[in-house]
Amino acid sequence: MRFVNIILSFIFSVYTVKLFDTGTIWQLSLGNYGFNGLVIGLEASALSSLFAIMVSLSWFIISITILKSDKKDISFSRWLPLLSFSLLLIVYASDYLLFFIGWEVMSITTYIILSNTLSKDALIKYIIFAMASALSILMAIVILYSGIGSLLYVDGHLSFLALNSNLRVALVVFMLLGLFIKMGTIGFHYWLVDSYQQADNLFSAYLSAVLSKMAIYALIVFLIEVVKIEYSIGLSYILAIIGVTSSIIATFKAIKEDDVKRLLAYSSIAQLGYILTVLAVANGLGGAIYHSIIHTMVKLLLFINIAGVITITGRSKLSQLGGLIYKMPHSFVMALIGIIVLAGMPPLGGFASKYLIYTSLLDSKFLLILSAMMFASVSSFLYVYKLIYGVYLGQPTHKKLESVKEVSIWYLIPQYLISLSLIIIGTYPALVVPYLNKILTQLNQTEIPYQNASILSANIGSYNGEVVMFAFIGIFAIVLLFLYSINSKTKEAKDRFDIAYCGEEPTVNTPLHYGYSLGKELERVGFIKIIWKNSSSHFYDFLAKSTINISTITRKLYSGNLTINFHIAILFAILILWLGV
Amino acid sequence: MVGGIKMVLIDLLMMFVVAYFVGFLYYGLYRNITARFQRRFGPPIWQSFYDSIKFFNKDDSTSHGAMFFLGPVIMMTGSVITLFFIPFFKDSQHFVGLSEYGNLFVVLYLMVLGALGNALAVGVSGNPFGVMGVTRGLSRLFAMELPFYIAVIALMSINGSADIATIASNQTTLNAFAYPLLFIGAMFSFIGMMGQSPFDVVGAPVEVYSGPAVEFSGKFLAILMSQSAIFSFAKLTLMVNLFLGGASGFLELLVKTFILFLFVIAFGSIYGRFKTPQSIDFLLKVPTLIAVVGLILAS
Repeated sequence: MRFVNIILSFIFSVYTVKLFDTGTIWQLSLGNYGFNGLVIGLEASALSSLFAIMVSLSWFIISITILKSDKKDISFSRWLPLLSFSLLLIVYASDYLLFFIGWEVMSITTYIILSNTLSKDALIKYIIFAMASALSILMAIVILYSGIGSLLYVDGHLSFLALNSNLRVALVVFMLLGLFIKMGTIGFHYWLVDSYQQADNLFSAYLSAVLSKMAIYALIVFLIEVVKIEYSIGLSYILAIIGVTSSIIATFKAIKEDDVKRLLAYSSIAQLGYILTVLAVANGLGGAIYHSIIHTMVKLLLFINIAGVITITGRSKLSQLGGLIYKMPHSFVMALIGIIVLAGMPPLGGFASKYLIYTSLLDSKFLLILSAMMFASVSSFLYVYKLIYGVYLGQPTHKKLESVKEVSIWYLIPQYLISLSLIIIGTYPALVVPYLNKILTQLNQTEIPYQNASILSANIGSYNGEVVMFAFIGIFAIVLLFLYSINSKTKEAKDRFDIAYCGEEPTVNTPLHYGYSLGKELERVGFIKIIWKNSSSHFYDFLAKSTINISTITRKLYSGNLTINFHIAILFAILILWLGV
Repeated sequence: MVGGIKMVLIDLLMMFVVAYFVGFLYYGLYRNITARFQRRFGPPIWQSFYDSIKFFNKDDSTSHGAMFFLGPVIMMTGSVITLFFIPFFKDSQHFVGLSEYGNLFVVLYLMVLGALGNALAVGVSGNPFGVMGVTRGLSRLFAMELPFYIAVIALMSINGSADIATIASNQTTLNAFAYPLLFIGAMFSFIGMMGQSPFDVVGAPVEVYSGPAVEFSGKFLAILMSQSAIFSFAKLTLMVNLFLGGASGFLELLVKTFILFLFVIAFGSIYGRFKTPQSIDFLLKVPTLIAVVGLILAS
């Protein structure tokens, strides 16, 4: 199965790149089959091609990793081709029928894969939310169809205009609800964190990097092509506020997490929140797509990295790891690149997409939203630091961790590939802009100004990635040389206990790892406490309880005290007869 | 590029030298002025500078491996690169560094690069007290940046540009007086950024044995001192550019930065230190609210 995956994914990677922006692939009129005027088809527009390339390349990257993995870690690989096909169907579909078929296959296949590893609770959560999402999208599609009887995206806006205002609201609400569940926007993320945590380590990478992007793709199609969202009116504000709230809450939830994969899951929610926000403003599409690309890459990188750590150590809790830096130096460097990108710092790629997002928010005068978003972005430093500190820095928490070895080369190759591309994107941030512009032109959006690959421009100002990168490297090299050449001896620490410790000497039993409690003191800050104390599970528990209560009433008609029920029924019958007569 | 790459390099070198010496001068003045607040005579003005030179020559600095070595380097790099992207003068060909290749967003993010380097080095040292300090620093960071970001975003929106020199030269009335609420909000953050009470995080040498610098000694401590001096000057220059109309010559720059600096240390001398959660709580309430009102009034 490993080789099937790598060969198929390679072929598809080549084909999706070849198909870039070639237009209609296949079209079928269902008129002959009794559905008058219904046309379905596949189309490789610039947008769908970009997402298809993301899907197939991520599939390829993961296929490299599973080449030499342990068999028990990759039980998902036999379903991976089907899952990837369904994703390709979703992105290439030019109508909502094929889209929905792809969506359903995706949800079901994911369910089958998850059922191998998830606990019963988590699995039930997943399937209920996945079905709710699918049904909600189906409702939206049916409403849209009632417009002019076509399911094609290109007719979408006409259909939308043909609806009356109530139906339009219903359409938007149903569609967004379905997509929010898949994106795991805060409030709808109840299923997501558990699934990401308990899935196979490498499948978590696929879930976070690729699967969540399908919701972004559908959202772009829906908002830009079908609704043709008018910016700076109600809907756009609502979306922006939902997005940024989602980012802030998820960021602080991530800070609290002790489990690495849960932390990354929350970070995914936060990053998708940025994308949602920027989709709600004019000229935001470029930034949204750019950030999707970056997020796909960085989440692949970090999840594969963490998968390696978990495979080697068998531990996934920050409070039980630590001190792996000199045991796994390659992994450490990759994780470092990952967190720098995730935090959106220059000179790496993460800053480029954040820059586009910020500037488009600034252009549209969403100033408070922008402030809140930058706040979330700075807060994320805390969880990225917690991630790298808890795993690689600090002191090992267990003897076992002192004798581990570097992860296998098959885990490292994909990480190196991704890191290299992130460095290149950081140096030449406008490298992808021509492709983004193709998408923007096709969707009738304003293009991003383009001069050359190293200058990323926006209305408000531009920056030169090359200069930032080389200035950084230059200064770094000079300082390093200077520090190295100073004629003063440094002595290496004797052992790991050779630290400044209040004049005492710590022993093996001294708890020296700060991983678990990192950031815990934030509990004393009012609004963070509110975020940490509350959880959407309260709401869903309430919902479940109410449902059970209501069902109990119905159940009691059948299995309660039958004599009383019988008498009540008779009484009602008499009443009805009496009133009727 | 004005005058070719050689001119740019000379320009950068000059910026570095100016920031280095003025930074240490200010640090010396800071120690003297706080001493006068506390009715004592401080050390000689260049004492900190001599100290840093002395530390460079100290023999026994303990290292904890390669990453520990690189941490201070990243920190220094972060400070210097921030400095290079902030123009000293608003309408000059010289002392503008690389500012034409970047803008305010780049500077805002470069400013936190040093914190990351520090955090990595402290983390790898394996000292829990150091990490305690880093955690405090990072948690305070996001609260501290929020009012500043709001003010900066408002200024960028008003000027329609993210270019620092443009914002500096667009001021007919100084931004500090044209948008007082934004200025007040940003000043709260700025006091924290300059490491002054009540929003400071305790550094290890001060009193309690916990803080980001706890494991650094010898040349590492020296480089931390130097970067902090350079970084202070960079931050002061940025603030002058944003709110005090920038500068056209060295005298103006020094006067304006010094006034700002004096205000900040005076503020720091009278107040005691907040606990970290207290300072986060405060920063997210009062200054943020002031800045938000300022932003709404300004736009």
